This record gives sequence, structure tokens and C-alpha cells, in this order.
Amino acid sequence: MLLFLYPLATLVLTSVYGDGGWTLQHYRRLFTVPAYLKVLRNTIQTAGLVTLICLALGYPLAYRLTTSSGVLRGVLVIAVLMPFWTSLLVRAYGWMVILHPNGLLNTVALWTGVVREPLELVHNTTGVLIGMSQIMLPYMVLPIAAVMQSVDPRLLQAASSLGAPPWRRFVSVYAPLTLPGVLAGCLLVFIISLGFFVIPALLGGTRDILLAQLIDFNMSKVLNWGFAAALSTVLLVTTLAIYAVAGRMLRIQTLWGSFR
Amino acid sequence: MTTPRDSRGITRRTFLSTAAAGLSAGAALWPHPTTAQKGRVVFATWGGSWEEAMRKAWFQPFTQKTGIEVVTVSGPDYGKVRAMVKAGQTEWDIVECNPDFQWIGPREGLLERLDFKVIDRTPIVPDPKLVTEYSVPQVFWARVMVYNTKQFSKENHPRSWQDVWDLNRFPGKRALYSKTNGGSLEIALLADGVPPDKLYPLDVNRALKSLDRIKSQVIWYDTNQQITQYMVGGQFAVGIAPDGRALAAIGQSAPIAIEYNQSILTWSAFVVPKGAPNREGAMSLLAYVLTPQAQAAIAMAFPYGPVVAKAYDSIPPERAAILAGGPQQAGRYILADERWWAENLNEVTEKFTAWRIA
Repeated sequence: MLLFLYPLATLVLTSVYGDGGWTLQHYRRLFTVPAYLKVLRNTIQTAGLVTLICLALGYPLAYRLTTSSGVLRGVLVIAVLMPFWTSLLVRAYGWMVILHPNGLLNTVALWTGVVREPLELVHNTTGVLIGMSQIMLPYMVLPIAAVMQSVDPRLLQAASSLGAPPWRRFVSVYAPLTLPGVLAGCLLVFIISLGFFVIPALLGGTRDILLAQLIDFNMSKVLNWGFAAALSTVLLVTTLAIYAVAGRMLRIQTLWGSFR
Repeated sequence: MTTPRDSRGITRRTFLSTAAAGLSAGAALWPHPTTAQKGRVVFATWGGSWEEAMRKAWFQPFTQKTGIEVVTVSGPDYGKVRAMVKAGQTEWDIVECNPDFQWIGPREGLLERLDFKVIDRTPIVPDPKLVTEYSVPQVFWARVMVYNTKQFSKENHPRSWQDVWDLNRFPGKRALYSKTNGGSLEIALLADGVPPDKLYPLDVNRALKSLDRIKSQVIWYDTNQQITQYMVGGQFAVGIAPDGRALAAIGQSAPIAIEYNQSILTWSAFVVPKGAPNREGAMSLLAYVLTPQAQAAIAMAFPYGPVVAKAYDSIPPERAAILAGGPQQAGRYILADERWWAENLNEVTEKFTAWRIA
């Protein structure tokens, strides 16, 4: 605990103490120069979009994973876990090769006549979202699958026997029961996405600057550690705030669970 | 660690020193930093094939000559230098760095003054910015224009940054470096008609306005590996790239060619962090690498330009013609004002970031 708190305290201290005195200059700069607020907004927005994409892809995937068996299950598990074992850089370059205007995807799309002009899929926000979502997908699938695994199938059968159509079964039984997994997955994906660095740098365009890139620049290029610490503190506070809110939602969820 | 001496019979002094050497050799078996570092210089490098070249051209002959071993560590990050020095635990003796650190480093009190009684700075190409009290240049390199040979011919290709900004005559993607001091602002001003000798101090607002004209066609690269990949894949029409990377890509039959006109010449530098464990060893290595022979050797091993003009005496002309600062560039390059960058990087980056996400 001390090992964890001491560096954090040092971090916060670095952001308010410098040149032999207390100062709020770094925070003033952060909140008065519009570029920094925009980067912060960009960061939160990107993380939010990645979370949504991962949820949309991850929920059905997790369902398939828990309901399938045999070879298919093995293949799915490997497909989900594979990205964990590959280097981030390798994946980023892989996406470049696939998404590039003369890349695999565009070549196929042009050849089959799906599109007339090559799609701009990389060096812009689209590229960042594709790259980040692929990396974050396991963080969404695994907690959801864990929860889905523990859903008692008899509850669904009971719902059917009481005459609930499939959509009703999903909305009133399955979705609420798997919600804790969804929230945990979203939280994990969102928080990790806030600190992303390599992917936006490699797959992003002019506008895709995220907070972590600014922190790195101030840390290692201009040695402005005070400002880097202020940026980190803002990121930390944002993360904690989201965590607190999500934590409350999770607790409400467990309350519901016990009433049922 | 101890140099062999000719035997003259055992005196009390040699006995004692031998005993001491024996003791210290015994101590060296333990991972004790001070004894272990005595006969070696720790060199923080960017690594890769560049490190291989330095090992052959510099480190091996240096070790042969002096007996001092050169140990490399990778990732010469300014932040790491600062962390080491501030913690009073400097582990590196020499750091290779971009020239802005020549001024940023001393400002933060992170560097040792160099010993110019050991290092001879007189043969270094005379320019007031190349040598400081805290740094010497390592090699020259340049940011050069590269164009796609599938799209443009040798006769009809962009020859100036004004041409590069002409999206009608030379359409296609522009590959620019995303770092503020990666040349984009300089070439934007040249494209806007600023004469090369009036470039610095950079008019940042004018540069950004000029960049607006091509913004939609720019693909940014963040690392040198990335631009290499773009070149090999022919993923842009024209751009700016480090000459070493461009030559390497051409070696891998990338569909690109170099236009040396209006290239931006810069250099890499050596510094010694404050509290370096083997300061003397560092000075003697720096003295060695700045000799004409060592500078010629590195230029033969890696396509970077020597910072000692005399080195060209032993470099064949066909090799000289691809080195930064060589004859192909003569009168057609601009020397980057790295001092201005060191002083303004922070503010300019703020503006550049604001422009990028606007």
C-alpha cells in the first residue's frame, strides 16, 4: 500500500511544487490553454467510443464463447486471447498493412466493387478506434464471459415456460444478470484506454493526440515534469471519478440482484 | 583491469599494489558498482544497426587501444538522465542525444562540463552551435525530401518545398514528422517563400498557416521505423525523412528517391551526465571518436556525415556523395538552429498541438 501511495503522492506533489515554492501554474496552463482541454476531451471521447465498440462486439462474442463447446469454443478462446500474446507495435503495424489505402482491405473492397475510392481507414480517428478496440476486446469479453458462465440456465427456461418471448427473456432476465460483467468490462476498457499511447501515435492522424502522448513529451523531451505531473494528476482524478461512479452503479446492480 | 607490467623483482610497493589488485579483483566478483565501473564506459545509445556500426568503427578499436571496455545500454531518454542525476545515482558515462539536449541538459543542471584538454575540438567543422562546454557533435545527418518514384520521375519531381506545397502539380499524400522540431515548420516556411537565411527565429504562426494549405493531405509519422515502413510500402507521394532511413529504405528497394535541395542539416551530440561514474573514461572515448580516422570509420560503417572535415580525406567520393554535409548537399542545405529549438520547444509544441487538434 505504501509502495503504491508514495509514488502517487510524489506525483501530485511534483505538479504543485516547483522552483522552490508552491504553485498552481501548471494547472493554470492546463485549464487556460484550450489545446490541453481539447486533448483531455479527445482522450475521454476516444476511450468512450472504444468502450462502446468493444461492448457491441464483445457481448455477442462472450455469449457465443460461453454457449459453444468443443472445437469452436477452443478457437474462440484463442481468438480472444491471441491479442494478449502479440506485441502492441506488431499489431499496430499489422493494422497499417491491412487498413492502408493500398492495403489488404481496400484492395479487396475495390476489386469486389464494394467501394469505388479507397476508404481512408488509417491515419485518422477511425484507425485509432479500430486499433484500440482490437487490443481492448479481451478486457471486455473476459469479465462478461465470466458472468455469463455463472448465469443459471434454468432461469431462462423458467422465463420461457412462463411464456416470455426471446426478446423479453433477454431484456428482463439475461441482460440484468450479466450487467455486472458488462459494467466491469466497460470500466476496465475505458480506464485502460484513457492511458493509450502507442496506437494513437501510429494509427492516428493530425488530430489524434491523447493525453498520454503529452505526458510523455513533457516527461522525456522538454523535461517539464511539473506539467507532466499535472497532466497525470488530471488523468488520475478523471479515472478515480469514473471509478467511483461506476462503483456506485455496480452496488445498485448487486442490490437488484438480491431482490430478484 | 590492471595492465601487465614487466617484472623487475618484487618490491614492497608492487607487492602491495598486486595485493590490492587481487583484493579488488576479488571484490569485482561481487556486483559492486564502483569497482566494476573502473575499466568501462557505459554508453547510452539508440541501439539497433547504428549501435552495431559504432561497435565496429569506434568501440572495438577504442578498447583495443585503451583497454577500456564500452558497455552499451539502450534508450538514451532525457527523462532517465534527469531521474538518475536527481537521485544521485548516475549510471551512464556518455549519452548520445539530439542537439537540443546540449542546452536543455545544462539548464537543468544535468551535465558535466567536457574536458577540452583531453578532447581536441579544433578539427570539428567550425560552427558556433556545434560545440558547447557540455557537448560535442557525434555525426551529421539530414532531413531530406523523399519522393515516390512510381508517381514522379527523375526529370519531373518536386525539387523545393514550394513544389511540395503545390498539391495540383504534385498530388498525393505528404509524409511529415509529427514532432514539433522534426522539420515540418521549417519546410512550411520555406514553402511560403521565407528565404533560408531568414528562417530562424521561426515565425510559428506563419508556418502553421502554411501547413494549413496541405493539412488534408498530410500523414504524420511518429517514429523513424514508421517512415521507413511508409517508404518501403510507397505509402506517400512526397515527404521529409532522415537521410539514413531513406538510404536504408532505398537499399530495401523502396520506390523512393532523395532530393537533396533544401535539406535540413542537423547533428547528434554526445553529453556526459553529471556524476558519471567514469568521467575520465568518457572523455578519452569522446577524444577518440572525434579523430579524423574514427570519423571516417563511422562514415564508412553507417551513412552519417563526419563532423571532422579532415575525415573526407580517407572517404571515397562515391561514399562521400551520400553522407550528410557531403558534396551533394553543398550549398543546398540549411543548418537547423537547434539552440533556438532548445529554447522554444515547449511553447512552439503548445502551438503546434493546438493547431493539430483545432
